[in-house]
Amino acid sequence: MRDEETGTWWQQITGRAVSGPLQGEQLDPVLSDELTFATWKGENPAGKVLAPVVKDSKEYESNWEPEVAKLPVVISFPGTALASRDVVIGMEVGGASRAYPLSALLSEKVIEDHLGGLPIALIVGPDGKSIRAFVSTVGGTDIELFRNVDASDWSLMDVSGSSWDFKGCAVSGLMQGKCLKEIVALKDYWFDWRNYHPATEVYKR
Amino acid sequence: MSKIEIQAQPVVRSRVLMPALVFSVLVGFTLALFLFPALIIQPFKYQSPRGITLAMAVRQVAPLWSLASLAAALLFAVILWERIGRWTRPLLVLGIVLASAATVMSRIDYFEWMFHPAGTPGFRSADQAQLAPSEMVMAVNLNGDARAYPILEMAYHHIVNDTVSDVPIVVTY
Repeated sequence: MRDEETGTWWQQITGRAVSGPLQGEQLDPVLSDELTFATWKGENPAGKVLAPVVKDSKEYESNWEPEVAKLPVVISFPGTALASRDVVIGMEVGGASRAYPLSALLSEKVIEDHLGGLPIALIVGPDGKSIRAFVSTVGGTDIELFRNVDASDWSLMDVSGSSWDFKGCAVSGLMQGKCLKEIVALKDYWFDWRNYHPATEVYKR
Repeated sequence: MSKIEIQAQPVVRSRVLMPALVFSVLVGFTLALFLFPALIIQPFKYQSPRGITLAMAVRQVAPLWSLASLAAALLFAVILWERIGRWTRPLLVLGIVLASAATVMSRIDYFEWMFHPAGTPGFRSADQAQLAPSEMVMAVNLNGDARAYPILEMAYHHIVNDTVSDVPIVVTY
């Protein structure tokens, strides 16, 4: 990425200025989610949606991801646990990094783990596609989340019997009103994540 | 008589050869300022950290250096014009055309030909947006100001500059 004000070149994945007048500077990351439109709209009925650019809208490729998945990779890591184009959820907490294969998360629905000394939770939303990650503690107490498979609707519980929503807030029980802190979960290809996180581990059940 | 001949020959050669050599080097240098980074920074090609650092450094100085080099090449072309035969002059013109093209390319961010900037973003309300429920969006919420950037659009434009709750942000995909 290049800025028009100074002509500095910025690295997309890190937000670091790699060349030019602002070299060495760092943009602050903003927490963002990848959600289905339905889930987002349900949470933000008054939110705003980026409108298509009319002259380009015919070029938008609804099959973009499957097409990109076929493209060659510029760097690969043979002998590592995953294939180059495997999609992972990359997590970086307290200097430690771990890649969670998307396929594993989608089948497990909830992953409780420890990373960088903190308990974390990766959660698949009610739509089966949206994903969020949280530090799963409230006031120093670990919150062990699990999906209540007996419930007819999507239901996320903790061991105390409180139930939680996809925003990470307890909606009933002992913890009602408490919210977990959401953290960045980056959806990325394995080769890319591994390239920028050479020391990354790979999650295994 | 013979003394004059011996001296005249090297003088004529250096009157053409030296400026021609300098002219060629200047044209080659101007071309390299564009071509070197262009060859290193190619889509879907691996760039070593050293290669990319060097290519970026060249792109930073290329706009100024190529202009200076082109100006110097033009000067030498003018000097050479009267000293060479009419059949060699097209080479001078070719050199200047190539160097001019490289100078223009050094000042253009030609990567933007591949990636179409979204410009100033327009927005719709959640109800007006024509998106399928299962369509993925990148979602940002700053101080209650919630924005959704459809992946369909982001995968094409890649970069959107926006201001959310008075915070300037860049959304990238």
